[in-house]
Amino acid sequence: MRRTALSCALALGTILTSAVMPAHAGSGPIKVVLAEEADLLEPCMATRSNIGRIIMENVSETLTELDVRSDKGVMPRLAEKWEQNADGSWRFHLRQGVTFSDGTGFDAKDVKHSFDRIMSDKNACESRRYFGGMTVTPEIVDDYTIDFKADPVQPILPLLMTLVTIVPEETPLEFIREPVGTGPFKLTNWTPGQQIVLTSRDDYWGAKPEVTEATYLFRADPAVRAAMVQAGEADLSPSISQLDATNPKTDFSYLDSETVYLRLDHNIAPLNDVRVRRALNLAIDREAFLGTLVPESAVLATAIVPPTTLGWNKDVKVFPYDPEGAKKLIDEAKADGVKVDTPITIIARSANFPNVTEIMEAIQQQLQEVGFKVDLKFVEVAEHEQYYSKPFAEGRGPQIVAAMHDNSKGDPSFSMFFKYATDGTQSGFSDPKVDDLIKRASAAVGDERAQLWSELIAYLHDDVVADVLLFHMVGFARVAERLDFKPTIATNSMLQLSEIKIK
Amino acid sequence: MLSFIRKRALASLISLIGLIVMVFFLSRLTGDPAALFLPVEASAEMKNQFRELHGLNDPLLVQFGRYVGDVFTGDLGESLRKARPALDVVLEAFVWTLWLAVITMSLVTGAAIVVGSLAAFRAGGFFDRFSSIVSLIGASVPDFWLAIVAIVVFAVNLAWLPTSGTGSVWHWILPIGVLFVRPFGIIVQVVRGSMITALSSAYVKTARAKGVKSTPIIFVHALRNAMLPVITVIGDQAASLLNGAVIIETIFGFPGVGKLMIDSILQRDFNVVLAAILVTAVAIFIMNLLIDFAYALLDPRIRH
Repeated sequence: MRRTALSCALALGTILTSAVMPAHAGSGPIKVVLAEEADLLEPCMATRSNIGRIIMENVSETLTELDVRSDKGVMPRLAEKWEQNADGSWRFHLRQGVTFSDGTGFDAKDVKHSFDRIMSDKNACESRRYFGGMTVTPEIVDDYTIDFKADPVQPILPLLMTLVTIVPEETPLEFIREPVGTGPFKLTNWTPGQQIVLTSRDDYWGAKPEVTEATYLFRADPAVRAAMVQAGEADLSPSISQLDATNPKTDFSYLDSETVYLRLDHNIAPLNDVRVRRALNLAIDREAFLGTLVPESAVLATAIVPPTTLGWNKDVKVFPYDPEGAKKLIDEAKADGVKVDTPITIIARSANFPNVTEIMEAIQQQLQEVGFKVDLKFVEVAEHEQYYSKPFAEGRGPQIVAAMHDNSKGDPSFSMFFKYATDGTQSGFSDPKVDDLIKRASAAVGDERAQLWSELIAYLHDDVVADVLLFHMVGFARVAERLDFKPTIATNSMLQLSEIKIK
Repeated sequence: MLSFIRKRALASLISLIGLIVMVFFLSRLTGDPAALFLPVEASAEMKNQFRELHGLNDPLLVQFGRYVGDVFTGDLGESLRKARPALDVVLEAFVWTLWLAVITMSLVTGAAIVVGSLAAFRAGGFFDRFSSIVSLIGASVPDFWLAIVAIVVFAVNLAWLPTSGTGSVWHWILPIGVLFVRPFGIIVQVVRGSMITALSSAYVKTARAKGVKSTPIIFVHALRNAMLPVITVIGDQAASLLNGAVIIETIFGFPGVGKLMIDSILQRDFNVVLAAILVTAVAIFIMNLLIDFAYALLDPRIRH
């Protein structure tokens, strides 16, 4: 009798509690398993994915942040607002009441030091590369206002600030191993080779994340990463292999901002002939790769940047698979004396992306079917770089470099100069109109900027036929059912723990 | 005995020095670390500055002179990528590899000697045939495949063991289990062959004739004489484990020296590569001394 009464009371209690308390989300620790360990946790190296994925916006914050979930563009983070001064410089108004994880306060001096540190020759900070070809000088206006003067004027300076992580003024110029930042998490344990632990901060300025602690584990094998989430040893793996992504409840594919393409060297015949380049494009049956060697959800590319980028041109159409058309163009070129029989070498990087060997062999075969003579050569990363970047070797034959390019930053300026300008490190040609468009688009703002990038994308694809664009790749993530998280295009380079909800 | 060990030590030291010189120059032939550390878009100026920062712009001989000087003072330089002393990075990893190798080889040696001896005792019998099949499979199964299958079966389906990583005793079972298989297969075969020869020799026949029981015949009389080739193979297998069981370390997320070495070679992290080679070479050199010592103990002819 007594037992019945007790269970009735308990049941009633449960009903009452669930009625009174709103069904709110949980909180707790999570485990994330990554493919590659961070060798450094240096804030100024956070633009490198294996480091950024752990600390970017988790430990180290930036003045501004790019919205990758919708299209709000550049959003405030440590800067509350910003405007362009009459002289073209940018003024950032900083958030007040923010503290670093070491307890010190955040102000304009920290911002200036962070920027100076990135530009210092005492280290090899990677984020410096985004400020090439310009001089940027930070000037403190008051404790919470700072100006950035750029020469030449930089319309996208607020976007560039999404790449500058803020460290305390006391941080030495040399690389550090224990990052101190203003973010919602702080580093509490790092056992090299084994794990990195971030713990949420009680004194964080913003909303408290649901994740209270994140333990990062590292496993190079994708099957093991997938197995760990399945076995409950981890809650999230941002990259598993397509073969393992079999459970629709936990496995998601997402556009991962990587674009696979064949870079053509227009300096050497027969690739200097636009008909030949067009024929290369028509000869490849891109559709046939989807769902076979390339994940089905991958997107056929018409630009080197993914579709979420500013100025994306939806009117540019993918080259159709037209082997007859390709043969015709080759014959026309041949009739004009173009040496279309010269063997062309495709240079690809081993293990660059899943199925790279099979994909390249298929492409080689498709090109041979329309009459090209094609050799295929696989090299490892350092050698690939010698083919990909200038200075190109003297006396080389016609070469096609298969490569994968990543731009998750929302603006084509991070790609276009390097890939297509006359002085671009990986550009295979020189075209004054391209140079002009890149220059004008880089300097423009708003709709004009988007318009100019659109124009460039169409011109490169339809008129120059600059390269053979193939696929915007997708990644696969496995997310435990207890988490509410959808990967985005930025997941490759950044994994914000505050975006992860616990059911 | 002492002079025997001294001679062996001197010979190993010379090869160690030769190895370091070779690795130093060969590793520098493989390419520029700046190109790999910095992103492809990095300017020539940034790359140059990186090289300057790490003394990579100096002539090779100057770099080598500096390196030798540093080694004598116990400084193996900083890791280019980790901003930490290279020796710390390597020793941290080497401890894991050493434990993995020591535990695996102890188990393998014990098990292989018992199984191999018993198989030889009744050569051609059921146990011999059975152990031959098992050891042949063991010696030929690819370890990456075995590792993945072991994870799927024991960690995912049965949920008996953790998939990978470190932290508890349980974490060691799968990697050691997978590492065990190949050397076990090989050593069983060697023990069996060597024991068959030993068991058919005259002194065993004499012992039998004198009425000695089977167990002392196998494990006292024959085994000691059969052990010389076995020790050579054990040393060989242990050396390959000390170099790091790259595949096992990679799959099980074990932070050992094999994976570290491969990663550092790919990243042109020269100081870590050199430190890792130095540390493993010293370990193998010590192990060879121990093996020589064991030879000398087992066979007085070698001592003289």
